[in-house]
Formats: sequence, C-alpha cells, structure tokens
Amino acid sequence: MDIFLQQLVNGLTVGSIYALIALGYTMVYGILRLINFAHGDLAILGAFIGLTVITGLAGSGGAPANWIVIVAFVLAILVVAIAGVLLEFTAYRPLRDAHRLSAVVSALGASMFIQNGIMLIWSPQTLTFPEGIMPATTYNFGTVIISATQIFIVSVSFVLMLALYLYVNKTRFGTAIRAAAIDQDAARLMGINVNKVIVSVFILGPALGAIGGLFIGVYYRQAVFDMGWIYGLNAFIAAIIGGIGNIPGAMIGGLLLGLFSSLASGYISSTWQQAIVFGLLILILLVRPTGILGERVANKV
Amino acid sequence: MKLSVNRNIGAVLWIAGLLVPLVASNSWISILSMFAIYAVVALSTDVVLGRAGMYDMGHAVYFGVGAYVTAILNVQYGVPILWTMPIAVVVAALVGMILAAPVVKLRGDYLLVATIGFNEIFRMILINDVGGVTGGPDGIFGIGVPSVFGYSIGSQEGLFILNWLLLGIALVLMNNLEKSRLGRVFRYLKEDELAATTLGVNARYYKILAFALGAGMAGAAGTLFATQLATVSPSAFVFMESVTLFAIVIVGGQASIPGVLLGTVLMFVVPQVFRELAEYRYLVFGLAMIVVMVLRPQGIWPRRNRPE
Amino acid sequence: MVKLRIVLATAALSLGMAGVAVADSVTFGVQAPITGQYANEGQGMEKAVKLVAKQLNEAGGLLGKEVKVVSCDDEGKATQAALCGRDLANQEVFAVIGSYTSGATAASQPVLDRANILQTSDGTAEQLTQKGYNLFFRNAPPNSAEAEFTGDYLVNVKKYERIAIIKDHSSFAKGLGEATAAAIEKQGGNIIFDGFITAGSQDYRSILTKIKSENPDIIYFSGYYSDGGLIRAQQASLAIDADFVGGDANQNVKFAEIAGKAAEGSVIINVPAPANLPYPEAKQFLKDYEEAYGESPPSIFTLTNTDGMRAIVQAVQETKSFDPETVADYLHGLRDFPGFTGPLGFDDKGERLGSAFQAFEIQADNTYKTIYPQQ
Repeated sequence: MDIFLQQLVNGLTVGSIYALIALGYTMVYGILRLINFAHGDLAILGAFIGLTVITGLAGSGGAPANWIVIVAFVLAILVVAIAGVLLEFTAYRPLRDAHRLSAVVSALGASMFIQNGIMLIWSPQTLTFPEGIMPATTYNFGTVIISATQIFIVSVSFVLMLALYLYVNKTRFGTAIRAAAIDQDAARLMGINVNKVIVSVFILGPALGAIGGLFIGVYYRQAVFDMGWIYGLNAFIAAIIGGIGNIPGAMIGGLLLGLFSSLASGYISSTWQQAIVFGLLILILLVRPTGILGERVANKV
Repeated sequence: MKLSVNRNIGAVLWIAGLLVPLVASNSWISILSMFAIYAVVALSTDVVLGRAGMYDMGHAVYFGVGAYVTAILNVQYGVPILWTMPIAVVVAALVGMILAAPVVKLRGDYLLVATIGFNEIFRMILINDVGGVTGGPDGIFGIGVPSVFGYSIGSQEGLFILNWLLLGIALVLMNNLEKSRLGRVFRYLKEDELAATTLGVNARYYKILAFALGAGMAGAAGTLFATQLATVSPSAFVFMESVTLFAIVIVGGQASIPGVLLGTVLMFVVPQVFRELAEYRYLVFGLAMIVVMVLRPQGIWPRRNRPE
Repeated sequence: MVKLRIVLATAALSLGMAGVAVADSVTFGVQAPITGQYANEGQGMEKAVKLVAKQLNEAGGLLGKEVKVVSCDDEGKATQAALCGRDLANQEVFAVIGSYTSGATAASQPVLDRANILQTSDGTAEQLTQKGYNLFFRNAPPNSAEAEFTGDYLVNVKKYERIAIIKDHSSFAKGLGEATAAAIEKQGGNIIFDGFITAGSQDYRSILTKIKSENPDIIYFSGYYSDGGLIRAQQASLAIDADFVGGDANQNVKFAEIAGKAAEGSVIINVPAPANLPYPEAKQFLKDYEEAYGESPPSIFTLTNTDGMRAIVQAVQETKSFDPETVADYLHGLRDFPGFTGPLGFDDKGERLGSAFQAFEIQADNTYKTIYPQQ
C-alpha cells in the first residue's frame, strides 16, 4: 500500500507539471484549432531562463536565496510570454486564412527553431541546476516520502489552475475567451475583440508553461535543450485525454496522465511506460476522441 | 501541354541521373543515393497525405518496418537482400493496413495525433528489443550487400544504381496514380469526403488502401536504406523523421511530384552539403519552414490544377 | 527550375574537386557524440585528438607529414554513426578514433573496414572484437573483464546480500549488466531485482520505488553517467538506504554534478580515473590538456582513446608505413606500450591487453578515492 501511495505522490507531482503545460495546448487549440507544436519548447525555455537568472544572481556556489528564485520565476514567465506573443504574430497570424496544414508546418518549424535556438544560446549539453533551490526537507508518512519540492510544485500548480479556472469562468474577459473558443465569428459579431483574445491566450498559455518548465528544472535539477519535445508531447496527450479545447479537461488530463504513467511504470514496466501512455492515447481516440470532459470545439457540419 | 513537357524533363533528368556514378565524387554519389531513397519515402507519404488528404505524421514507421524486416531477415536468417524486398513491402503494407483500419474514421487532427502515437509505439518496440530481434537502441548491424546472379552490388556506385532504379519505379507509379481512377478517387476523398460517399465511394476501403500503398512503397525504400548503411537503428525512424516527411510534402507542394522531389532536396540534400554548418542546420530549417509557409502556403511547387 | 539544376551541377563539380587529398598530410578522423546525451565525452575525444595532432605537428609531423583532424558528430546514435563512417571514408582518412558508445562504433565498423581504414574505440561491448575486423582495436578493457571484477567485488569483498541491477537497452549497458548478473550468480550472490530503464527519460522514481519495496542493500547500474547521476539523486530523495555501484560508463565528472549531494559515497568501477593515474606521461598530458582547453578531460575514456591514437602513431613510426595492414600487424603484436592509461597491447582480435580495474568512491569534494583493491 505504501508503495502505491509513493507512486501516487510521484505521479501527482509530474502530473501537475503536465497539467500546467497542457493548458497552453488546450487554450490555443480551443481558439485557433491549431496544435501549437512549439509550446513544449516555450515551456522548456522557462527552465533555461530560470537557470540563467539563478546562476547569474547567486553565483554557482551555495544555495540561492528565496528572492532570487522568485525573480527567476518572474523573469521566466515574462520572457516566455513575450516569446509566445511573438510566435503568434510571426508564425501563426499570417496563416489564419490559409490551409490548416500550412499552419501545422509553421508550428513544427517554430518548434525546431526555438529548440535549436536554446541549444545554440545555452548548450547542447545537459545543464545542472545548483542545489538548495528548494529546502531539502522531506516528510515521512510511514514509509512514504514527500519532499518539500514535491509539495511546492503540487500546491502552486493547484493554485494556478484554480486561478485560471476562476478567471476563465467568472470574469468578463474569461467569458470572451470561452466565446471565441466556441465560435470565433459569432464572438466577433458580439463585439468581442478576437485578436485581443488570441494574444491573451498566447500570453497565458506560455506563462503557465514557463512555470511548468522551471518546475522541471527545479525538480530534476536539469535542463536539456530537447526536453521540450517529450514534455510537450506528454502534455499534449494529457490535453487530448481531458478533451482538447477544454480547460478543466487539460488540468484533469495532466494529473491523470502523471498518475497513470507513474503507476504503469511502477507496476507494469518502466521501459514500456511511454508506450503504455501512447496506447492509452490511441484507446481514448478510438473510444472517446472528444476526451474525458468532451471537447468544447463546435463541429462544422 | 506544359504537363507532358514536365514529364519529359523528368524522364531526361532521371536518365541523366544514371550517369552520376561516372562523373561525381564519392561524396556526391552517397548524397544522391540517399536522396533517391528519401525521395521514394517522401512520395509514399504524399500518397497518403497529399493525395488522399489524410494527416499522416507517422509515415517513418513504414519506412522503418521495411528496413527492420530486411535487417532481421538478412542478419538472423541469411536471406539475400533483394529477396527481402518483396517481403518488406508486403509486411509494411500490412502494418499500414492494420494501423490504419481503426483510425481512418478519425477527423483530421485526431488522426494526426494517432499517427504520432504509432510512431512512438514503434520506436519503443524497437528500443526495448522486443522478442530479442529488434536490437535495442543500437539497432541491428552487419547487414549485407545485395547481389544479383552472384554478382555483389555493394559498391557505392552499385547501390546508387539500385536506389535510382527504385526511384524510377516510384516515379512511374506516381505518374500512373495521377492518371488512374484510383488517383481520382483519392482526390475526391480529399476534396470532399461527404460528397464522395454520397456518390457511392466506399471511403473506408480507399483510405485504408491509400495507407497500404504508401506504406508498401516506404517499405521498399526501407530495404535499400538498410543495405546502404549496413545498420538500422531506431533513431532513423523517430517522430522527427515523420515530421520531416510531412513537412516535405506540405512545403514542396501536396500531390505534386516535382514539389515533393524539390522538398526532399531541400530537407535532405542541402543539410548534407552544408555539413560544416551542422549546428545551425535545424535552426535554419525551422526558420525556413516558417518563412516558406508564410510566404507561400500552397507549397513551393504546388500541383497544377488540370482539366479532368 | 532549370537554374536550380545548373546551380546543383556546379556545386557538385566544385565539391567533387575539393575532395582531392593533399599528398603531404595524413588525416585522422574523429567519430564521436559531439552533441546529444554524451556530448561531454564526444567533445573530450575531439579535443584530445586535436591536441595529440598539434603536438605531433610541433615535433615535425608524422613521418614528415602534417597531421590533420576531421570530425563527424554521430550524436551517439547508430544511424548517424553509419553516416559518419561513410562520410569519413569518403574523406579518405587514415584512421578513425571513435566512437564513445559501443552502438555507434558497431554501426560504423563495417563501412570503415570495407574502406580499409584503421579504427580504435573505447566501446566495451564484447561483439566489437568478435567480428573479424582486422583493422579495429579496442582501447578500453571489455565488458567481460569488468563483469568478473564487479561480481567478485560485490559478492566476495563487500558481501552484499540483496543486489538490485538496473540496465538500459543499449548494447553496452545490456551486455555489461547481463555479464555482471551472470558473474554475481557464479559467485553465489543474491539478485533481488533485475530491470531496465529507458536512457534519457529523467524520472526514475517509479522503478526506484519498486526496487525500494524489495529492500536492496546495493543498487548496481550498468548504464551511462547521465542517467546514473539521476538515479543516485532520486534514490537519495526516496531515502533508499542502499549503496550505489556504477559500471564504467558512470565515470565522468558530470556524474557528481548531476547527483549533487547524493554523489558522495557512490562507488564506480573502472580503470583508474585520470587524476589517479600514476604515470608521468599521463600527468604531463593532463597538464597540456588543461592548458589548452581550461578544463580536465571528462573521463578516463578520453585518455584510452588518446592511447589508441598514440598506439597507431607509434605503429606508423616504427613500421615507417601508412599501409593499414602493416600498421595493424604491428599493433596485434604490441605489448607493454607505455600508454597514459597503463601498459597497452593488443591481441590478435584487437582486444586490449593488460589493465586493472578498480572500485573507487566519490568523496565529498567530488574526487575519486580507490577503495578496492587497497592501494
């Protein structure tokens, strides 16, 4: 039983990270029907920016002070959000009226560009985060170990998800976002500035992704330039499982995916973990393609 | 009128290509040899993506199936290379059919995601050395060279001619597909599946057929790829490769033979030539993909619409 | 479209002409993972080879010819490695130092052998010397030797009672892990877990949690440093109270960096680390390397590869020939050549003769201390 709980703890932590990144995919897809392949790389960019800030301000010896970590997060969010908006303007906006696949290729190109930009700017090698960013304390519940880092990641993620949920469902602008996701043209007719909605989605999504990326850096103490691809893919699967285009769906999908992959790895096999996740994806696509919470994307009949 | 001129130029170019081993350096023979293989795979992707209009971002799987079938048969069981090719084609086509059958009903983006999933599962089957035959991340090495009537064709020049021949066959096939009834059915399905169905077209059957055809072609290229490198390993068939094939078709021009060939040149030949700029390769690629799509969303050499 | 063809044809001709070799130089090729998971090692190899070439040129070249170096990045992947082999063969290099991983080495062996090019690599998977490639020379001791030492160390010396083994699927790690498991069983040891990870997947907590439930007293990892460091760190975060012993590919400065505080107390089995080499020539080379590049070599494999190159150079100088067969014959008879990593020789299969394994423990300041056999 303790093993099960431990796997749950592990899974929940990873799942929270997936959820944060998945939100970016789902929001963009909801409005633009576009799979933003570059989103995973934007999220990872957050990890790199954070690393640079932390080592820049604190030097590489000793544990960085708390305020430095906070500054790292803030700067990571800012830079990545700006990058997200730039991405929208250069790679997606010009292709709004073109064939869908052109935008897909553009997104793939953007992903390659960002990933390799990171490689060239930082390093092709794995970069290590200094120790002591999070207190090293752990809490024991029987033989289940929960670290302070895990608690930090899970709790902050939940707060952010709750905040986003409230924003999208209870505020005026949030309603505008939901309206645009349901039907862009109708929203426009109702006087909603759809372009503003799109820009805001490209701010919120990447911002949350950046936080997720920096969490990855802090949790594993590593940043590699090609991390974006695998985290992005998993987060994307999470969004699909929850229902692409559906914000609570992405949150639930992320958590479920984290739990599922942790349990699969622990109880079935570690090396087949990814394959099992993809198997789950295909199963969902065949049985209930609209995901657990059903997609909120209206179909053209 | 323009069309037959194009086809004639194509034929002339192909014949000129046969002379390459006589005039070019070893480096160039290697590069063009690989180009021929990748061009065949790209054309096979076009069958599914460009012509039948299905979002296939997992086409490298079939390429890999062909390559691994050849590798396993040749290395474990000593089957001569050229005999493995028909088997590779059939197995790849079967895999294509089996994978396609459950997912062809999915709408655009969902099909895309499913094919990405196939790619990953395939990669994992290879990496985890399933059944002890797939060789793990280091793959299978020691693949032999093809031989005809006892004469080994293992030299660079010999392999080039083989690859170029396969390319020629592929081009003829694509041409016939263009003109045939099957090609027309694919076009109808792509344009408007609903209308096609109301006209009595069995959409499911033709969609699976498209996958089978595209997969079989890729499998044949896989055989030659395996013998060319004497090694197969998972890294040649990962998602990135499928993405590249996908991009070739869209950037080059969907359902356009010269477009797909041009796309292959840009995506495979150019980086080989500019090896020294290795680090910047993908950066430039990515940028180029964005720029080309923004400036010319229909592809560099799009298909010319012709009267039916 | 016609223009493009003309451009391509012109480019083809000019590149073709550029491929003509200059007769008064000899080119060494480096095939290594210069980018990718093992970039550290690949770049170390490249730097070391270039340094040796520079030193040779300063002393008048090799048999009077200028020594040039070209590299090819195989990213640690077999397909790229095969392409690199083809590429280096096309550039008509004299010998190839490469690659770091057994898989990448195996992929380029056939091509290089067909092109009559000498090759030396640190890859330790058994099959590299079993395929009759006359021009191939392994410069690090094979997995089988290490497995025997490890089995003896774990069972007889440390007397562990519950051994957990983790491997990855690469031909090297799988080979080493399986050989070690067999050696442990031969010594009567008790293996309570034997499983795989997928190299590069970062999160190993699930499999470690599973291992934890089996109460191991030691975790043996036969894979590479980039994963070993993470496993060690995550083992500590899960409070698994077991020793960590890593196979030779864990020996790299990055292991300690990645494992952080948990690195201390980890044990690695390998031939001696660069800093612990007793030989004066080795110490001199380490100094030269640091002077040239501002850092020490990442691992002992940088030096074994250097030794491979130096052995080839020695063979050329002694036989006064660049003929690959002649050089190979000399190398097959080489005994007790003073390598940086110890006395170096090759048997008739190209297997390295003579070197001693050690178990060393990482100290608090990230240096290695040999704990067995006692110095």
